[in-house]
Amino acid sequence: MKKYLCLILALIPLLSLSGCAGLSIFSNYRQLENIELVRAVSLDLSDGGVNAAIYGTAGEESPARMYENPGPSVGVALGELILTPLGREAILSHTESVLIGQDLAKTGLRECLDYVERFSETRLDTDILIVRDGSARDLLAGLSGDETSSADVLSGLGKNISRLGEGYFFTCREIASSLAENGCALIQCVRGVKEEKLFDARGELDLESAGFAVARDGVVTDFLSDEETLGAMLLLGKYRSGNLDLPLGDQTVTVSMDLVGTDIAPRFDRDGALTALDITFDFRANVINLSGPVEITDSSVRRTCEEELTKIMTGAATAAVEKSRALGTDFLDLEGAVERRAPIKFRDMGADWQDVFLTLPVRIKGTSVLARTYDIADPPELSGKEDKSPWEKLTELLKDS
Amino acid sequence: MGKTDRITERQLSVLIFVSLLSPMIRVLPTAAVLFAGRAAWLSPVAALAAGALFLAYTRWTRKNAPEDMGLADMALAGMGPVVGRIFNILCALWLTFYGGFLARAAAERLLATVYPNGNTPVFVVITLAVAVLAGSGLTKTLSRTAEVLMPILVGVIAVVLLSAIPEVTSENLLPVTYRDTREILYGALPIFNVITACVYFLFLTGHTRRPVSQRPNRFPWLVLLALTAFGVTFFTLGTLGENLAASMENAFFMVIRNIKVFGVVERVEAVVVAIWIVTDFIFLAAVLMIVSEIWRTVTGIKKRSFFVFPTAALSGTAAFLIAGNAFEFQKWSDLIVPAINLFFAVILIPGAMTLGKLRRRY
Repeated sequence: MKKYLCLILALIPLLSLSGCAGLSIFSNYRQLENIELVRAVSLDLSDGGVNAAIYGTAGEESPARMYENPGPSVGVALGELILTPLGREAILSHTESVLIGQDLAKTGLRECLDYVERFSETRLDTDILIVRDGSARDLLAGLSGDETSSADVLSGLGKNISRLGEGYFFTCREIASSLAENGCALIQCVRGVKEEKLFDARGELDLESAGFAVARDGVVTDFLSDEETLGAMLLLGKYRSGNLDLPLGDQTVTVSMDLVGTDIAPRFDRDGALTALDITFDFRANVINLSGPVEITDSSVRRTCEEELTKIMTGAATAAVEKSRALGTDFLDLEGAVERRAPIKFRDMGADWQDVFLTLPVRIKGTSVLARTYDIADPPELSGKEDKSPWEKLTELLKDS
Repeated sequence: MGKTDRITERQLSVLIFVSLLSPMIRVLPTAAVLFAGRAAWLSPVAALAAGALFLAYTRWTRKNAPEDMGLADMALAGMGPVVGRIFNILCALWLTFYGGFLARAAAERLLATVYPNGNTPVFVVITLAVAVLAGSGLTKTLSRTAEVLMPILVGVIAVVLLSAIPEVTSENLLPVTYRDTREILYGALPIFNVITACVYFLFLTGHTRRPVSQRPNRFPWLVLLALTAFGVTFFTLGTLGENLAASMENAFFMVIRNIKVFGVVERVEAVVVAIWIVTDFIFLAAVLMIVSEIWRTVTGIKKRSFFVFPTAALSGTAAFLIAGNAFEFQKWSDLIVPAINLFFAVILIPGAMTLGKLRRRY
């Protein structure tokens, strides 16, 4: 009798298996054809509330679709959208991006983040993006074409700008963590641009990076220029590599470069007061393109390029620091950098960081090395000019070294 | 003690380890972060030291206890039949309540993470029903189950934690200096509190083979438990940061929801939820087993399983009455239950064992 009872009890969990869907006791089970897999969500400010739109697909073979719904809050707008009007249940568990309209971000960013953090399906690693110069819904719709998916375009831009050093897609986790730790955070902005369609099946809009937005106390308060965005990436350690055009007379040297090292060194006086902050960057660059006849193997030309590179990058970092001070918001987390470098002295400092930060001398320096030019050294003389003799070349080389 | 229901010391240690995984994952890292802030990831090291001393002390007090003597028998021998019985009954009542608390905690955690619109009583009843089935069986069956499941649990936790490495940032973990020592020790308190629950399992030591002096030490299992606590705290704190982690009820679960195993598999939280459900079931079954063991000793009724269902019914009642909502339950979880647990596990039970030892009753 006991054996039969055990057998029956052991069989009961089988009811939760997907094959027994009609009888399943597993409340989370949903048939694939009844699911709308949401990949991107847009949230905009609307009259009296929020306009939510979801962009998803019912499977690989199914075309991507968009649905929208206004509501008094993010929770209501999305909640209704998920459950009622689609004819199938929308699932947010694999949402990659949440696009927030600029106007909503200025008033209700906190609400949007709270929804992503709290809702049991969404993940903290969802990218949060602010849409500038237009609504998030229109951008999501405009990016989508017969053969292009908005979610893929967004994901592609995220990878590209990170590699090119033009921006960084912060996730909800990073933003929420930064807001919780520092009271401020940076968020990547994007913008839709109308360009000539290269093929009919693509969407009406193209996507581009639009710098960082500064969030403070749960709302977006300001935006950074491209230069300030570059500087912020350098100081936050989000910059790894990128391409840069260096002006050299009437020519341009394009380099790909890596940030090799960053050193943030606080200086304290004998009384333990923080007197200055020395920030040093090390860059290594490789020539990937020359616009004209530039003798890049000439050490003085290289030195000029290196100086130019250092000037641009340190200028960007300086601009970011100045912007941070102007806003009175330490969005670069210099406080954290100082504390990590000199934890004991920092705690003994006594003074309020906000007061120190606004007047602290920040000295930004950099060193750059032009490391290689790939297979071509100096560009060949395309105008047919006679080349130098081997003896002349050897003399120059010796003089150079 | 029946000769058929015998377990090895290793099996008992594994049972303790698997059982304590449940509260360890529940309270960490939030409890440690609230006390120790950014330095909380070092608190398991301090808790390990305190836990080792605690284990050594409880082992010393039982050093000369005979092979088939559980804690309930030791209390009767050490404090006499009247005081010993009162002690045993007090422990049984507390553990009955504690069982209800565990069932409710398991239900609340499932509701908060997976079934937001679910019904608490349903989960409490199901959890208790499974625990009654397991708790009515032999000690060796439950211990063997824990032994079989242990490598799976540890393996899954290890894979999950290793997969979280890319999300960890040093900014969330450093700096930590010698000045954080006091906070680190405070942070060790909730971890030590969980470890001390191992003392309840001494009520089952009558089932173990060989006298205490010949049994292997439990220290390696304590190290494994502390290592798990370290992993959970380190990776959660490193991923979310101090303030975000402290503001979440199930911060570890939030980290799990984000990870990608080997960059291929996403949303592995179902596997982890399955793990903590298993540990919840095993801990609750062990508690029912312990309480029924105490009643068996106190009443002299030989059939231990006779007490399991009434205990579960009382635990279930406690689970329903303990708090009207999740907020009230959180207070019990944060303050009241840990305080009572510390009283029983660190003061009352070791005190009773010391008394018996000093009176040379074992």
